Amino acid sequence: MWLADLISGLAVLTLGVGIVYFSTDLTYMSEYGPGPGFLPLYLGLGLIACGIAVAVKILKKPERAEKFFKPRTILNVYALIIIAVTFVLFPVFGFSIGLGLYVGATMRAIGKHRWLTCGLTAAVTAVCIHFVFGHWLDIPLPTGIVGGWIGW
Amino acid sequence: MDLLHHLYTGFAIALTLNNILYCLAGVFMGQIVGVLPGIGAPTAIALLLPITFSANPTSALIMFAGIYYGVAYGGTITSVLINVPGESSTVMTCLDGYQMALKGRAGAALSIAAIGSWIAGTGSIIILMTFAPALAKFALRFGPPEYFCLAFMAFGLLTVFGGDQPIKTMITTLIGLFLATIGLDVVSGKPRFAFDIPQLLGGIDFIVIICGVFGVAEVFNSLEEPEEGELIKGKVRLRDLFLTMDEWIASRWAIVRGSVIGFFIGLIPAGGITTASFIAYLAEKRVSKRPERFGTGAIEGVAAPESANNAASISGFAPLLALGIPGSPTTAVMLAGFMMWGIRPGPLLFQTNANLVWGLIASMYVGNFLLLLMNIFLIPPFVAILRVPYTILMGFIVIFASVGAFSVNNNLFDVWMMLGFALLGYVMKKLQYPIVPLVLAMVLGRLAENSLRQALTISGGSLAIFFTRPFSLIFIAVGIFGYMTPVLRWALKGRRRVSVDVAPDS
Repeated sequence: MWLADLISGLAVLTLGVGIVYFSTDLTYMSEYGPGPGFLPLYLGLGLIACGIAVAVKILKKPERAEKFFKPRTILNVYALIIIAVTFVLFPVFGFSIGLGLYVGATMRAIGKHRWLTCGLTAAVTAVCIHFVFGHWLDIPLPTGIVGGWIGW
Repeated sequence: MDLLHHLYTGFAIALTLNNILYCLAGVFMGQIVGVLPGIGAPTAIALLLPITFSANPTSALIMFAGIYYGVAYGGTITSVLINVPGESSTVMTCLDGYQMALKGRAGAALSIAAIGSWIAGTGSIIILMTFAPALAKFALRFGPPEYFCLAFMAFGLLTVFGGDQPIKTMITTLIGLFLATIGLDVVSGKPRFAFDIPQLLGGIDFIVIICGVFGVAEVFNSLEEPEEGELIKGKVRLRDLFLTMDEWIASRWAIVRGSVIGFFIGLIPAGGITTASFIAYLAEKRVSKRPERFGTGAIEGVAAPESANNAASISGFAPLLALGIPGSPTTAVMLAGFMMWGIRPGPLLFQTNANLVWGLIASMYVGNFLLLLMNIFLIPPFVAILRVPYTILMGFIVIFASVGAFSVNNNLFDVWMMLGFALLGYVMKKLQYPIVPLVLAMVLGRLAENSLRQALTISGGSLAIFFTRPFSLIFIAVGIFGYMTPVLRWALKGRRRVSVDVAPDS
C-alpha cells in the first residue's frame, strides 16, 4: 500500500502541474474581472502543494501492512473485463442484449451459477431492459446489429 | 397562518394518488437500499435520476426524498440482525442493536429504531417547515461574495468532517472543483481542458461521475471485500416488537436528545447523517448514569443514533432548499436532479416553486408514516432481500449506471467515462481518499467559481469584498477555521505530548 500511496501522491502532483500548465494558456484576468484561467491556476497550485505533502508524509512513515492487491482483487479484474467487453460490443449487440449478456456472463464467471440459470437470466434481463428503458421510459438505446436483426 | 396555508397546499399535492405512489416507491426502495450493504442513498438516487427525466419534478423529488430517509430506516435491520450496517449512518446501531438481538430483544431494537426515527423525523419536519422559509428569506440578502464564502465554508467544513486524512479531503475537493471547470467557460465562452474532444465541450455531466464513483465503483469494492454477517437465528414475531415499560423510560430522552443533535448536525454543510448518529451515540453515553451498559445491549444506544440519523436526513433539506447548498452526497445528487429539471434551489425557490417545496415537505410526513408501518409489519420480507445473490444485484447496478450515463447525452463516450470514474472511485476508496468531497465540490464548483468571479468583478479585483461584508466574513472565518483544524489538532496533540513528557521530571 505504501507504493500505491506514494504513486497517488505523485499522480496528484502531476495532475496539479498539468492543470497549471494548461491554465496558463487561458486568460488569467480579463477587462471584466477574473478570466477562465483564474480559478484553475489556483486549483493546480493547491493540488501541487497537496501532492507534495502526501508524498513527503508517505516517504517519512513506515510501510502499512495492508496490501493494495487482495486475494479477491482478481474478481474485480474479471468484472472489469466483462464490463469493458460488453461496452466494446455495444455496436454489435446493442444495449439491451449486450447488458443481458453481461448479467449472464457475470453470474457465470463470478457467481458460478448454472449455465441454464445464467442463460435464462440473461434473456429475461435483455427483454426487460428493452421494454422498460427503450419503450416505457423512451430512452433511445442503441440496438446494434443483432438488435436490428430481431427488429428492436 | 401562512404556514398552515402552505402546509395545506403541500398536503393537497402530496396526497394525490400519483404522489402517494411515488412516495411509497421511494420509501420502499430506500428501505431495500438500506438493507443491502454496499449501496447507499446517493447511488440509488444517482442511478434513478436519468430515468426520471420525463417525470413530474415534484413526484420524482418526493420519491428521491423517500429513498433518502428510507435508507436510514432500512440500514437498521441489518445492523440489528446481522451486525453489518446496511448504511454508514447505522454503524453505531450495530454496537447495541446486535447485542440486544443476541439477548432475544431484536424486535425491541427494531421497534425503538422505527419509533425513534418516526418521532425524530416528524419533529424535524415541523421545525424544517418554519426554519427553511425563514432561512430562505434571510438568504435573499446574499450576493455573489456571500455565495462564494458559503461554498468556501462548506469545503472548509468538509476538512473537519470529511475523514481522518484532511490533506486527502482537500485533494478530492480540489479535483471536484477542477472537474467542474472542464468545458466551455460560461463567461468568455472559451473551452477549458477539453483538449479538442467535442464531448467534453459541454463539461462532464454530474450524473456520469455519480454513476461511476458511487455505482460501479461500489460493485468493485463490494466484490473485493464483501460485507457478510450471520443472520440471527429465530424469527422476529409481532409480539417481540412491543417494548417493556423500562425500555420506554430508558429511551424517551435518548430519542429527544438524538433528534435535537441530529437536526442541528444535518443543517451543517458536510455534517451528514453518519456524523449525527455518531455524535448522538457518544452524547448519550456521556449523559448516561451507567455508561458501561453501552455496547452490551443498551436500548438508548439504538434510540439515540437512529433518531439522530433520521432528524439529520430531514434537516439536511434546509440548506439545500433555502440556500441551494447541499450538505451531504445525497442532497448533492438531488441538487443535480433540480438542475436537470431546470429548477435552481435557493432563496427564491419558496416563491417561484412553492408548490414543489411544500409538496415535498408534506410528503415527508406521509413517507415517515409509511416507513413506520413498513418497519413494524414488513421486517421479514426485507430480511429475505439479503438472500439475493450479489452477482444479480451487481448486474442491476451496472445496467442502471450504463443506461443512466448513456441517457444524459445519448452517447457511448459518457458510458466509457462512467467506467473511468468507477475505477477512479474504486482506487480512491482503497487509498482512503474520501469521495464525498469530490461530489460536493463538483456540484458546487460552478456556483463557487461564478460567484467568485462576479464578486471580484464587482470589487475591481479586490479580495477585501469578502472581508468587509458581515455574512461573508463569518462564512469565510468558519471556512478558514475548518481548513486550519488539522493544524490545530496537530498543535494540540504536540502540546499534550510535551506536557505528558515533562510531567514525570517536574
